[in-house]
Amino acid sequence: MRGSLPRAAVIGLTALAVFLPLGLIFYQSALNAPFFMPPRTLGSGAFEFIFADSDFWDSFKNSMIIAASMALIAVPLGGILAFLMVRTDLPGRQWIEPLLLIPVFVSPMVLAFGYVVSAGPVGFYSVWAKQLFGGVPWNVYSLTGIAIIAGLTHVPHVYLYSSSALKSLGSDVEEAARMAGSSPFQVARDVSLPMVTPSLLFSGVLVFFLGFEIFGLPLVLGDPEGHLVLATYLYKLTNKLGTPSYHLMAAVAVCIVAVTFPLVMLQRYLLKNAGKYITVKGKAGRQRPLPLGQWRWVAAALLVLWLFLTVVVPLSGIALRAFVSNWGEGVNILEVLTTEHFREVFNQPTLVRGILNTVLIGVIGGGIAVVCYTAVGLATHRKPDGWSRFVDYLVLVPRAVPGLLAGLAFLWVFLFFPPLAPLRSTIFSVWIAYTVVWLAYGMRLVSSSLLQVGPELEEAARSAGASRGRVSRDVTLPLIRYGLLASWLLVFMIFEREYSTGVYLLGPGTEVIGSLLVSLWGTGGADMVAALSLINVVLVAVGLTVALRFGVKLHD
Amino acid sequence: MKRFCTPVTCLLAALALVPALGFAQVPAGYPASYADTIAAAKKEGKVVIYSTTDTASANPLINDFKTLYPGISVEYNDMNSTEVYNRFISERAASAGSADVLWSSSMDLQIKLVNDGSAMAYASPEIPNLPAWSVWKNEAYGTTYEPIAIVYNKRLLSGDEIPQSHADLVRVFTQKADKLKGKVTTYDVEKSGVGFMLITQDSKQNPQFWDLAKALGVVGPRFQSSAGTMMERISSGENLLGFNIFYSYAALRAKKDPSIGIVLPKDYTLVMSRVMFASKTAKNPNAAKLWVDYVLSKRGQTIIANAAELGSTRSDVQGEMTVAGFQKTLGAGAKPIPVGPELLGFLDQTKRLEFIKQWQAAIKGTK
Amino acid sequence: MTETTTVRVRPGSAETTSVKLAVDGLHLSYGDNAILKGVSMQLRQGEVVSLLGPSGSGKTTLLRAVAGLEVPHRGTIRIEDKPVFDGSSKLEVPAERRNLGLVFQSYALWPHKTVFDNVGYGLRLRSVPSGELSARVGAALKNLGLGDLGDRLPHQLSGGQQQRVAIARALVYNPPVILMDEPLSNLDAKLREEARAWLRELILKMQLSALVVTHDQNEAMAMSDRILLLNNGVIEQQGTPEEMYGRPRTLFAADFMGSNNRIEGKLSELRGSAALLAGEGWSLWGETRGDAKSMGGAATGMIRLERVVVAEGPGENRVKLPLVTSMYLGDRWEHLFQLGEMRLRAYGRMPLAGGEHWLEIPRSDLWVF
Repeated sequence: MRGSLPRAAVIGLTALAVFLPLGLIFYQSALNAPFFMPPRTLGSGAFEFIFADSDFWDSFKNSMIIAASMALIAVPLGGILAFLMVRTDLPGRQWIEPLLLIPVFVSPMVLAFGYVVSAGPVGFYSVWAKQLFGGVPWNVYSLTGIAIIAGLTHVPHVYLYSSSALKSLGSDVEEAARMAGSSPFQVARDVSLPMVTPSLLFSGVLVFFLGFEIFGLPLVLGDPEGHLVLATYLYKLTNKLGTPSYHLMAAVAVCIVAVTFPLVMLQRYLLKNAGKYITVKGKAGRQRPLPLGQWRWVAAALLVLWLFLTVVVPLSGIALRAFVSNWGEGVNILEVLTTEHFREVFNQPTLVRGILNTVLIGVIGGGIAVVCYTAVGLATHRKPDGWSRFVDYLVLVPRAVPGLLAGLAFLWVFLFFPPLAPLRSTIFSVWIAYTVVWLAYGMRLVSSSLLQVGPELEEAARSAGASRGRVSRDVTLPLIRYGLLASWLLVFMIFEREYSTGVYLLGPGTEVIGSLLVSLWGTGGADMVAALSLINVVLVAVGLTVALRFGVKLHD
Repeated sequence: MKRFCTPVTCLLAALALVPALGFAQVPAGYPASYADTIAAAKKEGKVVIYSTTDTASANPLINDFKTLYPGISVEYNDMNSTEVYNRFISERAASAGSADVLWSSSMDLQIKLVNDGSAMAYASPEIPNLPAWSVWKNEAYGTTYEPIAIVYNKRLLSGDEIPQSHADLVRVFTQKADKLKGKVTTYDVEKSGVGFMLITQDSKQNPQFWDLAKALGVVGPRFQSSAGTMMERISSGENLLGFNIFYSYAALRAKKDPSIGIVLPKDYTLVMSRVMFASKTAKNPNAAKLWVDYVLSKRGQTIIANAAELGSTRSDVQGEMTVAGFQKTLGAGAKPIPVGPELLGFLDQTKRLEFIKQWQAAIKGTK
Repeated sequence: MTETTTVRVRPGSAETTSVKLAVDGLHLSYGDNAILKGVSMQLRQGEVVSLLGPSGSGKTTLLRAVAGLEVPHRGTIRIEDKPVFDGSSKLEVPAERRNLGLVFQSYALWPHKTVFDNVGYGLRLRSVPSGELSARVGAALKNLGLGDLGDRLPHQLSGGQQQRVAIARALVYNPPVILMDEPLSNLDAKLREEARAWLRELILKMQLSALVVTHDQNEAMAMSDRILLLNNGVIEQQGTPEEMYGRPRTLFAADFMGSNNRIEGKLSELRGSAALLAGEGWSLWGETRGDAKSMGGAATGMIRLERVVVAEGPGENRVKLPLVTSMYLGDRWEHLFQLGEMRLRAYGRMPLAGGEHWLEIPRSDLWVF
């Protein structure tokens, strides 16, 4: 292998961190009992059980429905929003963009909880609606309601990809169309739209894939009417037989990965194809924004409506709930305002530890994660050999595993290898799970920084006599340090928002806000959930503000 | 059994001596060798507890324990009953550190663990003061006395819409189906160990249990996995009625929340008791013993009855939330669930799945 | 200067050919930055006019303003006598209605359409029936030697082929004026020389009127009937290539066209249009050009490299300089002479021996500004 011992070590460690948990999942699914319990035998008992369980097929069907609906809702909306923001003279574009991206960085648990409190049957907005219209025309607990909310909250993902595709469209192809005689609308239809279609397609597959793995939204919203999706079905299996049914969970995990892995490969293929249409040659002339005329108010209204439904409704619900002692039909809000929930939170050492851990894991853990991603990035940087291709595919693997499963798999790793056991009850276990789960995302961040270093700069150093290692240290790393800082910020926000990965690793010492929210929700401590959610939102908001202040580009 | 001094003065003496001596005295009535246990516990320095009792309720106990035995910190982890079970099992299998004391409202799962040999054989000095049904094999101890109640929304339900017994539930579900449609809640028996246990106990005690299940199916129940969520929903009015809810939770909530109303069913009232045992493989076995004894002691039980509001099993504790206190309202209807091997019946996988299937069929059946 | 092999067809006299494009007093700014500061020009039927100038001179901006892709704030633009922009009456016809053809520097072919669709798009927008559309596209493609490439996608074509598709696309709907932005700059040096001949031939054959932006003066001279030299947002000089090359009116114009020797000195004598440029130990007679000069003031002399003659011995208007180096260019030698401040380059057919040589600066070829 071309290269050095460090490179081999980095690639080897990464492969270990990725394949070990995954291997355990497959191994466990082939057993008839949890792997640490004596009566275990190899067999297909686990698969037989779940295939015979009607709940499994119901949840599979629901997952498909939700995933498809999400793609159908998010892609058109995201594409339209991207066009409005990038190509037209929509008023207020500057300050709208960060608001558009809020749902990406807020934990779905928080959002779902917000929806219950705002728009649930006796939510704040529902009660007002009842007073105004005499009835509540929506139901957030229905499958339709869940699908719509999921679709709306994933619009930013489509927006990110389509807007960057639109921005990199050379203006000359659009001007050429105008010279040939097409009106601005025809330009959009005949040139801009077809050229961003690959990006739209990619985002559609991405949203479908994300829909297959969603956990927080259906956990909170699906419970009352009993709608299960694959991830919540798996979570429910934790207790199906009255005792830990790890083999069943592993079997479901294998089924999920069987669907998500091909989707990840498809995404990769589509992303490569999307690059074909990028024409950044030629002078990037002034892009004259499309004047919308009277349509600008319609467009603005559409935007505001989406923002209201997706950001204002849930977040206002949480903020209110965190400050009231009880709520619901017939309760006057002004009479029940209080700050006792926050005092409660800070009185409980587990919760305080959770908040502290969350901050630590975001700041320090995020930093160390970026260091690891950089190491892997450097191992493949400008070395287009078989090992780099191997790493390319390697980082895709964790992408296919939903966070919930990854946390579970890491739990098993720690249980399976007794020497590692002491680490299990430290925050390290959560950190390693997070780092592996977000490997693909982190790598993408680091790679885009690395690619911006012109190859001649490194070649110049090598001609002057520097070894590859020194080139990395003296030339490459210093040049990307701003990009690395930006990556650190983004990873911080992602780690703050994380919730599903830590669920199975939750224990004394490994609490983070996300998994605490899941657990507290399960035990019905809604007051705590509200207060903690608000704290979580504040943490993310801090990160977002810092990012915007330093002009960090929020898209990959 | 006679004491050397009255409970109150002994308590006061112990409390007074603590700061003076810097370490706790052996509680009255305990063997002198207990002092060694205390010393060993001090060396261990902490006790790790996995419990389903939420931290807010347990805090009075924890704080008092800390004043009694300063130098022993309490690592209290509150989670739901299946988590207590799962984590304990998997951690033990991995020989990783786990809890020293398990305290769960899921009585059946606790008994299962004890039956599988996870408990430390430890005869607490408090055993003579405890009712017979609450102790098993000197390993598992019932620590609370908690009737199971029906909870309703006071603002929105009134008069004969409020069921007064299990039979009355059937009547209310049938007659008031329109008002209650989609607004009745109880435990999801698949997700909650406690819920499963309560419903199976109901099936034993209530001759018309399956009628109740069918009637419940008609109104379209909303299942939750925890009492807290159930009460949140009832309080807000999203649900109007819930059954198989712990009286202790409801009473605590009702103190601050005028919307919560409670009924103790008149035909029979299940009384459950949170089971506690010390783990055989505890890393801090002596601290574990101290804690178990403390919770079972009169001092601990007084706090349980009055500060934690969980209900005490001891007859010598004053207060409303005690056996004696409840005697007035429950009379002969009080059916404490015995801490013992009968609970294991439904834990058998086949029986469990069969019951769940039956239950779900009954719920869905009348559509 | 190398002569092209095609015959330069002169447009008819000013009175008989129509004006296809008229720009009058055009001003354009980006914010506070003034780019065009009052530009006026005309393009007649059958003319090829080059907009020439250094980068930042405003030539591309002028082209884009004519196309409708940039908006001036003062002045008028008329196409075939119809106004498309008028600063005073706020008239602005959008680009898609000006019916002009624009060939982009990057070709700007639509990557998702085939060659046929790329070329035919303009006709489709004009609702040309499909039979006629096919025929016209086919003819355009054949004209440009792209006959059997109709089904290909742009990324499957070579650079030269892409350029021809871009031209076909701009021509197919017969616009009155075709605009070209640096049409040859993306081609290799070898191809460029062939291409400029071929391009001019095509324009003349199809009887088009063309406005071409270029930064290369050789290209401008080879291809155009008239050249507009822009400097800093205004037209420095316009005229035929011969006028631009042989009779520059300003120092900038003289310097921009051709390869020059620059001689700084003082004006020591003035006799009508003749001037004596003098420096340390030398003096040369030359012709004054440009604005009026004052005696004793500083002046700059310019002479084309090819006009400097390596002479045998001393004589009128000759200087003696040592040879610094000689460079072989294939068809000639370029010799560099230097003494003190004076630095002269000259062409020669033969290599020269080292040492000093006499150089003749013919009086009529030395322009004094």
